[in-house]
Amino acid sequence: MFSKKSSIVAILLVLMLTFSVFAVGCTNTEQTAGDAEEKQSENNNSNDEAKDDEKVTITIAGGAVGNEYELTKKGAEMYEKEHPNVNVKVLDTPDLADDRLGLYLQFLEAKSSKVDLYQLDVIWPGDLGEHFVDLNKYGAKKVTDKHFEHIIKNNTVNGELKAMPWFTDGGIFYYRTDLLKKYNLDVPKTWDELEKAAKKIQKGEREAGNPDFFGFVFQGNSYEGLTCDAIEWLYSNNAGKIISDDKKITVNNENAVEILNKIKGFVGTISPEGVTGMGEEDARNIWQAGNAAFMRNWPYAYGLGNSEDSAIKGKFDVAPLPHGKGSPASCLGGWQLGVSKYSEHKEIAADVALFMTSEKVQKMRAVEGSFNPTIPSLYEDEEILEANPFMGELKDMFVNGVARPSAATSPNYAETSELFYKAVHSIITGEEKAEDALEVLELDLQDATGFETGEPTKSN
Amino acid sequence: MKKMSDLAKKEQKLAYKLLLPTLIILILIAFYPLGQVFYTSFTDKEFASSNETHFVGFDNYKKLLSLNIEELEPILNENGEQKIDPETNEPVYERPIDVLPREPVRYKEFKVFNIFGKRYVLGATDPYFISALGNTLTFTIISVFLETVIGMIIALVVNSNFKGRGAMRAVMLIPWAVITVVSARMWEWMLNSNRTGFFNILLDKFNLADGQIAFLSKDSLQLPSMIAVDVWKTAPFMALLILAGLQLIPENLYEAARIDGAGKVKQFFTITLPLLKPSLAVALIFRTLDALRVFDVFQVLLSSKKYSLASYNYFQLIKSREMGMASSIGVVIFVLIFVFAVSYIRLLGVDQNAN
Amino acid sequence: MQTKIAKIGLKKIGFWLLLAVIIIYLAFPFYWAVNSSLKTQAQLQMTPGTFVPRDPDTMEISVFLGNYKAIFQNGEFLRGIVNSTIVATATTLLALVTGSFAAFALGKLRFRGRKPALYMILAMTMFPQVTVLTGLYAVITTLGLDAIFSMILAYMLFTLPFTTWVLTSFFKDLPKEIMESAQVDGATPFQTFRLILLPLTAPALVTTGLLAFIAAWNEYLFALTFTSIDPEARTIPVAINYFTGVVARQEPFGETMAAAVFVTIPVVLLVLIFQKRIIAGLTSGAVKG
Repeated sequence: MFSKKSSIVAILLVLMLTFSVFAVGCTNTEQTAGDAEEKQSENNNSNDEAKDDEKVTITIAGGAVGNEYELTKKGAEMYEKEHPNVNVKVLDTPDLADDRLGLYLQFLEAKSSKVDLYQLDVIWPGDLGEHFVDLNKYGAKKVTDKHFEHIIKNNTVNGELKAMPWFTDGGIFYYRTDLLKKYNLDVPKTWDELEKAAKKIQKGEREAGNPDFFGFVFQGNSYEGLTCDAIEWLYSNNAGKIISDDKKITVNNENAVEILNKIKGFVGTISPEGVTGMGEEDARNIWQAGNAAFMRNWPYAYGLGNSEDSAIKGKFDVAPLPHGKGSPASCLGGWQLGVSKYSEHKEIAADVALFMTSEKVQKMRAVEGSFNPTIPSLYEDEEILEANPFMGELKDMFVNGVARPSAATSPNYAETSELFYKAVHSIITGEEKAEDALEVLELDLQDATGFETGEPTKSN
Repeated sequence: MKKMSDLAKKEQKLAYKLLLPTLIILILIAFYPLGQVFYTSFTDKEFASSNETHFVGFDNYKKLLSLNIEELEPILNENGEQKIDPETNEPVYERPIDVLPREPVRYKEFKVFNIFGKRYVLGATDPYFISALGNTLTFTIISVFLETVIGMIIALVVNSNFKGRGAMRAVMLIPWAVITVVSARMWEWMLNSNRTGFFNILLDKFNLADGQIAFLSKDSLQLPSMIAVDVWKTAPFMALLILAGLQLIPENLYEAARIDGAGKVKQFFTITLPLLKPSLAVALIFRTLDALRVFDVFQVLLSSKKYSLASYNYFQLIKSREMGMASSIGVVIFVLIFVFAVSYIRLLGVDQNAN
Repeated sequence: MQTKIAKIGLKKIGFWLLLAVIIIYLAFPFYWAVNSSLKTQAQLQMTPGTFVPRDPDTMEISVFLGNYKAIFQNGEFLRGIVNSTIVATATTLLALVTGSFAAFALGKLRFRGRKPALYMILAMTMFPQVTVLTGLYAVITTLGLDAIFSMILAYMLFTLPFTTWVLTSFFKDLPKEIMESAQVDGATPFQTFRLILLPLTAPALVTTGLLAFIAAWNEYLFALTFTSIDPEARTIPVAINYFTGVVARQEPFGETMAAAVFVTIPVVLLVLIFQKRIIAGLTSGAVKG
């Protein structure tokens, strides 16, 4: 039989060995990390000066969706042509945001110099800012005013520009033109109008023999996407954006309670019960099968909805999202390029970042890959509009862009958002009363960020 | 102590030699990462952050495991009777948020419950962890039990002689062979909350439901769904290990039993089960170990709607980046697994010395 | 007499019924994956979904092979199969060899420190992968190992304890008379191990080998991290997760299912081949106490 004594001995042995080995290993890595940093700074000087005689490789960690990889590569080749001594390598990373973030965190924890440029989600400059250089010091200042102001603001953490905007995204409202006509309705402008229209169409379509039909689908799962949807609800009802730009917790207010209760009322009536488990793709699957009258989603669903085998091809259009007491809001999404502090060639890397985000490359990506530019003037570019007639409409919606409070909460945005979407989820599933959940959320946010409470900023 | 004989010494030497490769691998890949987890669990280290790390003793463990119970007093109206909520018609009590202590550490509501007509709130400093612990234990106990039973049935069936059992052995391993991450997505699709999902199609066909059941967002259906997915995926693992054990049981024992007139059922309990114990114990240990660390299914299917210990650990690391806290969750899982492993070994008595 | 025959017949029917239930239970979700892999996006979105791919308008059976075409045109996927085969095979062999050495010592030899050794080996695998990932990544960068080799080594974390423990339990079960008689014949303990114990426990070896192989074949988190910088070394689970839609956020569900179906086939074939060996080893009557 297994005796007590030997089990304790075994545990102790494991603990002792692991601890001793760790103690040795720990000092080792610290040393090597320090060494690496020193070496790095040496390298930096020598490399940047001796640019001419050796070829420098810059690695961009980015996305590889569809032709994204090819287009980034094309951009890289354009740069190489102008700078023959630089070799730009593109490293593809997973499309799943959490997987990509996890990977980046491992690189950054290891202070890896293997990646020089990171493609960053719009919410990451805040949280990961300490690992990225201030691009204003590398010549970005001259070009920032060309880009959407709210994206530059989002990417600026404590006065430092952590990343260059590369392509943008925003929440938009999809509606079925054929059904609005059939039921003689206008495009809903407010949440109340949306509810009414959705009810009418849903009733009609179900009576016409489609039991799977719903009025409105959105992203209600407990994940970052819900933060996007909910910040649009809140902001469009003058309930602020969780935490204000001047670092006040504003989420616990009457307008927020009101709008969240309204959305809760949608669940199980004009929206399926299962909407509280849906992400972008779940919503799109219902929508594209012709089983929904309205949808909140990102612009990506537009092209897919018009694809050859789509049930709703040519039967829908987009508009700004509905609003409550305030004006319509569109959650800011999209990707940026940031230069790692651990890069051995920061100057060159920054130069590559500025090139990749320049008008020239953004235009190429817009024409060939439908990536939404972050430069407003490009939305009037004829070539771009010819390739993507739909982009002209998008600009008006992106102008309503509301950034999630990632810069204000830096480096605690991820935690803030997780607390927020969990609270919202508990409200729309009916587990908690809105008043209670928001009160608890307020306390949780105080714990997480250490900020005071304040009044929400109004959207109009 | 007795002096060892030469032979025994030789045997001991050989044993150490044979263990050497394992030991080298262990030192190479296990000691530093495992030691780091133990060490970090006593610090406030943040992941991928230049913030200074401090030694915080058992603070992380305290934060994970602290519980507190408070009574919720009824709220009275002017007449001294308990107020009734006009909307829900339920009696009104104090709210947990007003009762639970906030200093020096804040307790959050975990569960409200009634005993002897009084209402209490169970507070926890980290209610998500406590519920992750509960979810993981429930998940582990039920799914390992079901996997053992189903695995045993499959193994016994496959072990009997019939045409095509070779093919059956291959079919049997399909679920275990499907890539874990993908199988989670496959089930997510089958559990879809409308009639694109297999289960909703089926229930709708037989008029048992309206085809809109949200298996993954309805609280009461979440854990059962997880268990169903896991049992499907890993029952073959159990079955294969049990099968290997069954095949080591000498056939002549059964022959002798048959001559004695013992029925199949009796044979199972007097021969099969006792002789299967060692392989069953090992299978149980590894199955339980995997179940306690369950990650993929929870992360893919429930994300942050409901946590397992490992998926909570993951979100702590990726989202809050509290590496110290994440490490202590890892250590808690480690301890849990150790307790389970030791109890299996003792219950099934498989750790006798070498014979 | 007749009732007896009826009873046997009933038993037989019961057996085949049970077998059918088991097969449906195990294989149906896989069938659903096959079914999904043969559908277009529009067919996947249909309500209610169909049990065979059907055209949304005419409801005629209409099979779509585009998902399979897409995965075969994906170089990373095909390379992933090669990488996964290398990694999983090497992992299995390494884990079986070192594991059976250790298991022989732990199961059949007398020495001091046996139990602590057993528990230490098990302790290797008691942490969730996410927790040890960072430390492991640090070890691998410090040692400067290439991606394939680091995966093989890292997979020892979960395969080695498994093979060691399972084999220990099987070695222990073998009657000690076998060893004693071999020793009388003048064989060294190691010869006994190699010539007698190993062949006798062939079913256990094949079983543990298969389970370890599949575990290594399916591993995702370590592979994702270790191959991040080296796309050439990506294994199948990682390659599948790198599948993307035409645009960001679109999940290529049909392709994912096609890939899942396709990579399950070699594993199932592997099982078929090795299962025959198990049965052969057994019917030869080698394992009689």
